[in-house]
Amino acid sequence: MTEPKHYFAPTSLDQAVECLKDGDVTILAGGTDLTPQSQSGKLRIKQTLMNIRRVPELTGITLEGDEIRIGALTTITEIMENALVKQHFPVLVEACDHFASDQIRNVATLGGNICNASPAGDTLIPLLVLDASVELASMPEATLYRHSMPLSTFFVGPGKTRRSLCELVTGVRIRVPGPNHIAHFHKLGTRPALDISTISIGIAGTLKEGILSNVRVAFGAVAPTPVRASQTEKALEGQRLDAVTIGKVAGIARDEVKPIDDVRATAWYRKEMIHNITKRMLSHVAQA
Amino acid sequence: MSVAEKKPRVIEPDSLIGKRIPKMDAPEKASGRTRYIHDINLSGQLYGRILRSARIHALIKSIDTSAARALPGVHVVITAADIPDQRPIGVARDHFPLKVGRVRSQRDEIAAVAAESEEIAEAALKLIRVVYEDLPVISDPEEAIKPGAALIHPEPHGADGTHLHLKQGTSIAHKGKPDNIAMTFDYVHGDVIQGEAESDVVIEDTFRLHYVTHCCMGVSGMIAEFDASGNLLMYSNTQVPFLHKREFAEYLNMDPARIRIIQPPIGGGFGSKLDIYPFEVICLYLARAAKRPVKMLFTREEEFLASPTRQPVLLTLRSGCKKDGTLTFRQVHTLHDNGAYTSWGATTPFVMMQTFSSLYRVPHCDYHTAAVYTNNPYAGSFRGYGNLQATFAIEQHMDMLAERIGMDSLAFRLKNAQDSGETTGQGMVFKSCGFKDCINTAAQRSDYTRKFKENEVNRSRPGNIRRGIGMASMLHVGGGAKIYPSDGCGTILKMDDFANVTLITGASEIGQGSETVLSQLVCEELGLPISAITVVNNDTAITPWDVGVHASRTTFIAGNSAIGAAKKAKTKILAVAAKKYECAESDLDLRGGFVIKASSGEVVVELSKLLRNLHFQDKAELVMTTFYYEPPSVHQDKGFKGDVSAAYAWGAQVVEVEVDTDTGRVRMTKVTGAHDVGRVLNRLGIEGQIEGGVVMGQGYALTEELLIENGVMKNPNFRDYKLVTAPEIPEMDISFIESMDGEGPQGAKGVGEAPAICVAAATANAICNATGVRMFELPFTPEKVYRALHGQTPKLYWKPWRADQ
Amino acid sequence: MLLKHDIEFTLNGVKRQVSVDVTTNTLAMLRDVIGLTGTKYGCGEGECGACTIQVDGVSLNSCLMFAVDCDGRDVTTIEGLANDSKADALREAFVEHGAVQCGFCTPGMIMQADHLLHKHPHADADSVKRGIEGNLCRCTGYKKIVDAIVAVDGAVK
Repeated sequence: MTEPKHYFAPTSLDQAVECLKDGDVTILAGGTDLTPQSQSGKLRIKQTLMNIRRVPELTGITLEGDEIRIGALTTITEIMENALVKQHFPVLVEACDHFASDQIRNVATLGGNICNASPAGDTLIPLLVLDASVELASMPEATLYRHSMPLSTFFVGPGKTRRSLCELVTGVRIRVPGPNHIAHFHKLGTRPALDISTISIGIAGTLKEGILSNVRVAFGAVAPTPVRASQTEKALEGQRLDAVTIGKVAGIARDEVKPIDDVRATAWYRKEMIHNITKRMLSHVAQA
Repeated sequence: MSVAEKKPRVIEPDSLIGKRIPKMDAPEKASGRTRYIHDINLSGQLYGRILRSARIHALIKSIDTSAARALPGVHVVITAADIPDQRPIGVARDHFPLKVGRVRSQRDEIAAVAAESEEIAEAALKLIRVVYEDLPVISDPEEAIKPGAALIHPEPHGADGTHLHLKQGTSIAHKGKPDNIAMTFDYVHGDVIQGEAESDVVIEDTFRLHYVTHCCMGVSGMIAEFDASGNLLMYSNTQVPFLHKREFAEYLNMDPARIRIIQPPIGGGFGSKLDIYPFEVICLYLARAAKRPVKMLFTREEEFLASPTRQPVLLTLRSGCKKDGTLTFRQVHTLHDNGAYTSWGATTPFVMMQTFSSLYRVPHCDYHTAAVYTNNPYAGSFRGYGNLQATFAIEQHMDMLAERIGMDSLAFRLKNAQDSGETTGQGMVFKSCGFKDCINTAAQRSDYTRKFKENEVNRSRPGNIRRGIGMASMLHVGGGAKIYPSDGCGTILKMDDFANVTLITGASEIGQGSETVLSQLVCEELGLPISAITVVNNDTAITPWDVGVHASRTTFIAGNSAIGAAKKAKTKILAVAAKKYECAESDLDLRGGFVIKASSGEVVVELSKLLRNLHFQDKAELVMTTFYYEPPSVHQDKGFKGDVSAAYAWGAQVVEVEVDTDTGRVRMTKVTGAHDVGRVLNRLGIEGQIEGGVVMGQGYALTEELLIENGVMKNPNFRDYKLVTAPEIPEMDISFIESMDGEGPQGAKGVGEAPAICVAAATANAICNATGVRMFELPFTPEKVYRALHGQTPKLYWKPWRADQ
Repeated sequence: MLLKHDIEFTLNGVKRQVSVDVTTNTLAMLRDVIGLTGTKYGCGEGECGACTIQVDGVSLNSCLMFAVDCDGRDVTTIEGLANDSKADALREAFVEHGAVQCGFCTPGMIMQADHLLHKHPHADADSVKRGIEGNLCRCTGYKKIVDAIVAVDGAVK
């Protein structure tokens, strides 16, 4: 039986990252993934269980210059109900609306969803197409060290990220989009919520006079991590969204993904859905 | 009261029947005060846990429990070797609770622990070392039935390869089975060859029905305790306490009279608690060995792995009709995946053949089933009991035959639907029959015919959403089912000095609302408000015998029993009152808590006062009555023929869907149902039964599937075993056809299983109406529908197999 | 030896101290340590909602919450709601509308409905359905549960 030897509930960021120094720490935030995973034995709780829920620096949604910072402890419900997010990132609200259930949205945190790094993580696809970056903090010496990295480089595998054991994800930063920015999200599952995506798609960019630029396309549940679709993006960049282009791009998207068979769907069906839903979303953008 | 107003008080007639009466235990449940088995703890209680097989099919070479026994806090560790007198359980007695020498499925029980806490018990399981020798896994019944297939139940061998020669018995568990055929059924009426010769159109299709499971929200559990004299007290969620009492006694080799079963409120049943499962017997072994109460509860994962399922069926149906729309014959072959052991699932052909032989007029019918052993989970009984599977095939064929002869599918159904007074080829006598009313009502209320045609036209329109409408009908027993020697139910009724009634009934309450309906029936007879009754229904030491909750029988059988007891009480009261007030008994009646004049409703005396007078007099007496009701049904003969139920329930449902052709996703938008329930007793309760059944049928049709790969369950959780959630439910328009059954309590018939039966069949018809594509395989998941729409579904084919060929 | 931690929190309006295993979840603490059994175990994975409670005014699955995290917080269970006269209308609606059959999902369903109605007192049927999408019921088909919650409109603040 693996049981932690210490429990620690820091009340400041300094305390939290200092605790992380020895690396043998399991971080508890919302707990919606950690609880079932640890109780089923899929995840071993390390020497120290650190509950970061009482760290004020990890909360809040703030406008800082041309960026919005969402603290890692922000719950999915808080994101959905926040005026800044609703105004600037309706695509994130849309994804949050499909996230698990109300009870889980009330507790699950954005930082947790990011660190859990599920290939089907609901918030990750919109964050990827919004060019979000991840804020990390650590204490290599005696003082707090912060840095950030693009979310698109953060994920390395299912449940695996570039966060080192001594680092804490403190929040995400998203640049407030300029005029003519569009962003859309679609989650394909069998029910409105309480469902893990069969696939999910995010598409964003600048749409000006019918031409799409700065294109960002991301897919969920088709690879070991949520992924940006570089070939699909390239095919869309600078294009006018006519029927021929949409058809072609949808085909490229289908060929670009390499999903697997699992209990939710076969790879074949996932590829078909990447095609059909990409096509549907682009047609929707073109008609809007 | 002034002299001028001194008129006699008059009680106006009133009735509880057909009203919306809230469920009597709902306030407790809504406050979180109800104590389910999970919430009960006995002092000195230990916690039992079971070690299940790590393999699907293997020989057990050795089991080492020494480390587990040594763990502090562990009281008892048992394996089959510790219970030399183990007796096999299950319908075919092919199943030792603790496995002897061999495991045959993922959930197989190898050892069990009773410990001071669940954590210690769990830790002890991890210390048990089992050495296996793997055997080939047979997960496909078509493979299992082939000559030369490896046997699931060969003669038992010991770890050293020698025959075990288990001498105690002659069951399959003791002696093995030389083939993998668990059970066969062969039924015939008429002559299908003649039927086929008379047909203008003949069609044949194969259908595949999948694994689903009950998913009771309360997981399984029990508490067992032997007292100092060796009497056994069980807290159990069984649906059939009196049958189980006797069975448990057999397994423990003890006198059934020394077993008492208390049934705490139950977190859902749906047929799942009709058989005895290994964990229950194992819990008794643990309690016997530990001499302490032992509580055993499943985890949700265990509930998925170790509960019974609905039986997967491969079904080939051949049917025909004449050009004028007359059905001519049905020929049916089914292959049931029995799983590794035999439970009630194997016997669902009893119900399936009724549907094939008697849903619509079928002059010639030929039905064959083989239930085949595999290394898959085993199937038990589940609401509908084979009828969902049978109806799925029949009702699709009804649409297909109608289309082939160019007849409107509604007219085709009506032409072949029965009326009251008819006897079917299987000998079922339809005394009350609202079948045509059900079909007509469902069709009219849903605007079936117009929408059906409109949807066909709209198929060629642009866009990715296709609308469809489909119909299906059902027939099910509604007045019990005479399977056991008695299909009866006993009642004890007593009245106190304040005119309150205690109704002691054999009928179990599993959430369906039987206690409320029985109370209504008794209070209706005795002219009392529902608040004047207490129901006792959960203790075999107190309640009279009943065969159990199954076959949609409780309202009908227990209802008639309760009415019988109430009538006897009423007769006695009126006799006393007539004597005291010097009038004829027939001049009096009971109403609103009073004895009244039958003609005017004028109060004669307060009932409680009369009862006190009766009690506190020289020849003191109490009002206490008993009644045992046995329905006038008959056992089937050897050819499965006979009028097995006292009444039959009918229904028709129309399902409307939207199919997204881009994704294959099917949204169920509306269900219009019409059910012949005899008579509505409690409108609130019956609506709840129908709505719940419809949504259970929706899950069967669209979302639920236990995925089994090579005997391994891939989705033992609610994340990937998808129950329908609230936003997915369709609009529901439910009508009740009141055919006033002559035998039923106040005219009512059973309805518990009916609503789940035809949803999947009607959905298949609706998808076909929407897209022109017919679906032969459940469930209609987006991927399955998408594949079918893109011609990616190979036609199912199965060469029917028969034991006699 | 399991690591224990002392916590102090408000449970149904009453302050209390408990020593809990740090890896125990709140559901297990409520049922097995404290002995309040109205909160039900349905799946232990947050997929069924039977264990729904309210913490600091929001609903959550108690099976997904570490018990140690209750420290300093305000926890309400069905037993607490049963003493809350404002919630009477909700319970009565469940009874009167036939929203209770086996009743096992009912406490969690009522805790979630109470949270929903505090947030959206005039929720219509569609928003109620979305609001209880994390609560599974196998008996009723949800319709009467939705009817009951919608019917409370105005009665609960």
